[in-house]
Amino acid sequence: MTKVLLIIPAYNEEGSILKTCMTVKKCDSSLDFVVINDGSKDKTEEICIKNNLPHINLIHNLGIGGAVQTGYKYAYENNYDIAIQFDGDGQHDVTYVPKIIEPILKGETNMVIGSRFVDKNSSEFKSSGARRMGIRLISFFIKLVTKKKVYDTTSGFRAVDKSLIEYFARNYPVEYPEPVSTTQILKEGFSITEVPVSMNEREEGVSSIRAWKSVYYMINVILSILVVGIGGRK
Amino acid sequence: MSFNLILVSSCFSLIVILLILYFLKKSKINIKYALVWLLLFGFLFISILIPGFLEWITHILGFQMSSNMILSIIIGLLVIINISLTTIVSSQDKKIRLLIQEVSILKEKQR
Repeated sequence: MTKVLLIIPAYNEEGSILKTCMTVKKCDSSLDFVVINDGSKDKTEEICIKNNLPHINLIHNLGIGGAVQTGYKYAYENNYDIAIQFDGDGQHDVTYVPKIIEPILKGETNMVIGSRFVDKNSSEFKSSGARRMGIRLISFFIKLVTKKKVYDTTSGFRAVDKSLIEYFARNYPVEYPEPVSTTQILKEGFSITEVPVSMNEREEGVSSIRAWKSVYYMINVILSILVVGIGGRK
Repeated sequence: MSFNLILVSSCFSLIVILLILYFLKKSKINIKYALVWLLLFGFLFISILIPGFLEWITHILGFQMSSNMILSIIIGLLVIINISLTTIVSSQDKKIRLLIQEVSILKEKQR
């Protein structure tokens, strides 16, 4: 049987983490998940302990990249076949899990990205024009260095197969993890498929990409993509 | 170079050297990181005190004034030292991340 793990990174998500985990349990009780509590300052840890949620408590805040990588290390050590990144803030919809792992189960691809943009009809995700522009720009640069079009470059809803679990356990970009890891694995010769999903509006918490930081973010992401993308493999 | 400038820059070099030695003694600096500072300011100190030596190098390197040359060389070296510090910080960053992850996973296993 294929072992599937949901990696749920959470930083100060006391308001939504329990709801997210309950939705996962209700939807498919055989699905394993692990909450990575990224050194939250609120009651996230207490909630995990009280409700007996499987969780790893990072002893210090690492940021989203370091937290997600911890999940991959956990998946690797516990011999999971598929790992799925799943946000703790209620943005992602667990009912898409079968759809997102299907291409991996069929052996067609190494990574599946749950994409808001690949099919315009299925997604009602409202995002600002500026953010869509940013994602499109990142997409352009990824195409430039890897020759592969990835539409939703910042989606945090992604599933990877066993080979990529091992790869990510060993090297996962800490800064701007989604677009940079996408570039990195395309460069390493892994394949990526995008599957249309719809995402909910954020229920709690603030997106890690804040408005005033966005220009700085864009410059850094593009620079990272170019650095990773240009030149041979490591 | 004017006498005043020689006095000021040699005193400054001496202070930096003594400061580094003090930190070494208190083990607040690792010897491998201290060495580069000691060499830099030791060399500056000696070359200021040897009469005619600075003027000679200034002439060879094509600077018009010794003070300009000292300034340029020190800035250049500081840039290099700073870059190497950035690489040290980055690699420590990586090590700390690895430690946090492994310790946290271990703690989870223990529960």
